Amino acid sequence: MAIVIDKSQRWRGFAAHLFLIALCVLVMFPLLMVISISLRPGNFATGKLIPETISLEHWRFALGIPSLGPDGQMIKPDLPVLLWLWNSVKVATISATVALFLSTTAAYAFARMKFVGKKAALMGLMLMQMFPTVLALVAIHAIFSRIGHVFPIFGVDSHWALVLAYSGGIALHIWTIKGFYETIPAEIEEAATVDGATPWQAFWRVLLPMSLPILMVIFLLAFIGAIIEYPQASILLRSQDKLTMAAGMKQFLYAQKYLWGDFAAAAILSGLPISIVFILAQRWMISGLTSGANKG
Amino acid sequence: MANLQFKALRKSFGESEILHGIDLEIQDGEFIVFVGPSGCGKSTLLRCIAGLEEITSGELFIGGKPMNDVPPAKRGIAMVFQSYALYPHMTVAENMAFGLKLAGHSKPEVAAAVQRAAEILQIESLLDRRPKALSGGQRQRVAIGRAIVRKPGVFLFDEPLSNLDAGLRVQMRVELARLHKDLATTMVYVTHDQVEAMTLANRIVVINQGRIEQVGAPLELYHQPANRFVASFIGSPKMNFLPCHLVSATETGARVRLEDGTVLAAGADARGLAEGTALTLGIRPERLLAETAAGEGTAKTSVIVAEHLGDTVFLYVQSPGGTGQLTVKAQPENPLRTGDETHLRFPAKHCLLFGPDEKTLPRLL
Repeated sequence: MAIVIDKSQRWRGFAAHLFLIALCVLVMFPLLMVISISLRPGNFATGKLIPETISLEHWRFALGIPSLGPDGQMIKPDLPVLLWLWNSVKVATISATVALFLSTTAAYAFARMKFVGKKAALMGLMLMQMFPTVLALVAIHAIFSRIGHVFPIFGVDSHWALVLAYSGGIALHIWTIKGFYETIPAEIEEAATVDGATPWQAFWRVLLPMSLPILMVIFLLAFIGAIIEYPQASILLRSQDKLTMAAGMKQFLYAQKYLWGDFAAAAILSGLPISIVFILAQRWMISGLTSGANKG
Repeated sequence: MANLQFKALRKSFGESEILHGIDLEIQDGEFIVFVGPSGCGKSTLLRCIAGLEEITSGELFIGGKPMNDVPPAKRGIAMVFQSYALYPHMTVAENMAFGLKLAGHSKPEVAAAVQRAAEILQIESLLDRRPKALSGGQRQRVAIGRAIVRKPGVFLFDEPLSNLDAGLRVQMRVELARLHKDLATTMVYVTHDQVEAMTLANRIVVINQGRIEQVGAPLELYHQPANRFVASFIGSPKMNFLPCHLVSATETGARVRLEDGTVLAAGADARGLAEGTALTLGIRPERLLAETAAGEGTAKTSVIVAEHLGDTVFLYVQSPGGTGQLTVKAQPENPLRTGDETHLRFPAKHCLLFGPDEKTLPRLL
C-alpha cells in the first residue's frame, strides 16, 4: 500500500467513498424500513424510520404468541407463521440438496464426458431457463395434478410436488458448476483413473472435494431460490398448514386490509434461515482448494 | 515387471491421425525414452499405453497380454504426469495411499507401502503435509511415490522434469536413474529434452510426426543417425548441415563440392548416386575445425560471434558460400575472435552425407 498517489487522485478517492457510502445507505434503507414497520404499533406502511413507540404486537403474532385482545381475552394468532417457516426450510433444504446432486452429476457429464448431442443439450438447457416460470404456471399445475392421480405424494398440495418442481430448475446451476469443473485440470482425475478409480470414484473422491466452494454457492443459491419463490408455491400448495412462508404471507395482504406490520415481521423471519445457511456455508467458500495439485 | 509390444498401433482424433502405425518392442526392465518435438505424438503414445486414450487400430501388449480394451487400473502401470496431478485435498500420505486403498488393501499394508516409498524418495518428513505446502521438487517426488507404492510392471513418465528449474532437473534426473537401477522395472519416459533422453535411456525412440524415426542406444543415435531428422534432433549444440553436390563416389569414400566451390572428402558410400546429385553434409560442432591458415580441403569464411565459456569456445561462423550459420565447438586455446577470418576443416571420418531422401548414406570410415 505504498504506491505514491498524485494529489489530483485524492478527491477522486473521496468521491468514490462518498458514492459507495450512498450506495450502502440505499441498499440498507428498505431493510431498516421493514424492521421499523414490524416494530411500529398498527399496520402502517409509511411513517418515521425510527418508531416513536415500540410495539411487539406484530412479532407476537408472527411467533404465534397469544396476545391480549381488546375484550380482555387472550387471542391466539390465526395464521401459523412459524409452521410456514418450517415448511419453507424443509422444502428449501430438500430441494437444494436434490438440485445440488442433480446439477453436480449433470455438470460432470457435460464437462468431462463425450456424447452425442452434448452441445445441443447444453444450449437447450440454457434456452429453457430463459423463459420465466410464470409463463408455464398453467402447465405446471396441469402436470402436477396429473401426476397426483398416479403418485398422490407428488400431487397438488404436497410439499414433494414443490420439491420436484424446484429441483428441476437447475439449468443455470449446471452451467455454473460445469464452468468450475473446467478450471480443474483433467489430469488429476486421470491420475485417479490410473490409480484404479472408477469414473464414479474419480468424481466422488477427487473432483467433488476440490469443488466444495462452488457446491456451497450452488446450494445457497438453490436454497434462497426455494425460500423466496412465490408463483409455483402459490399454485401447488392450497391448505393453510402446507403453505410456505412466501405463499402464506400473501394472506396478510387482503384486498380490504393490508397488515403491513405482521407482513414485515414475517418477512424478517423468512430471512433468518437464509442468513443461517449462509453463515454455515461460508466456512467452505474458500478459494485455493486446488492449489498444490499442479506445479503452481 | 513387464515387457511391452506395439503392433501397427494407430491413433486418430476425429479425422486427423496422430500416430501412423507404431511397431516397437520394449524389453522387461528397460528404460525407454520417447523423444521428439512438441506435437509429434509421443505423449499420445504414452497415454495409449496408460489406457487414457483408446487405440484406434493395431495392438498393444503389456507382459504378453493384449491390453487394447483393458481399463488403466488393470494394466499394471503407474503414471507420473507432467503437472504432477496430485490430489490437493489429501495429505502426501493419502495421495500415495489412494490407489492401494481403492484396490482394497488393508490399512497396515497400505501404511507399510507408503512408508517404504517415502523412505526411497526421502520424503518421510512430508507425509502429513498437503501438496500446497510442498515445493516443486517435493511435489514431483510425491508424484513418483504415488507411482512406486503400486508396484507397477511399467512406469510411465510424461515429461516429469519439465516443470522444474535447471538445477533441480539435473538432481531429479540422477535420482530417476538411481530409482531405475534399484527397482529394475520397465520405464517409459517421454521428453522433448534430448539431454534427458541421452542421460537416462537404455534405448531412445525418436518420434517425428507420428512415426518412429529411429530406435537405438543413445550413442548409437548420436554416431549413426538414420536420417537427417535424428541427426539434427540428437546432440547439443545441433549438428551442422551444409548443402553440397556429389563430385565422385568410390568404395573408399565420396567427394562433394560445397556451395563456395570447395571440394572435400566424406567417409560415406555414395555409389549409386549420379554425379551432381544434391546432398547434405552433416558434421557435429566438436568435429568441425576452425583454423587460422588455409590448407588442403579447407573452406574460407568468417567468424560471426565467438563465445568463450572457459572450458570451450563456441564459434558461430558463416556457412561457406551460403547464408546459414555453422557452429564450431573449439578448444579454449583457439585464438579466433569475433570478426576474424577462418578456414574450416571437415575431417572426412566425421562427415555424414544425407541423400536426397534425407536418409544417411552408409558410412565407410
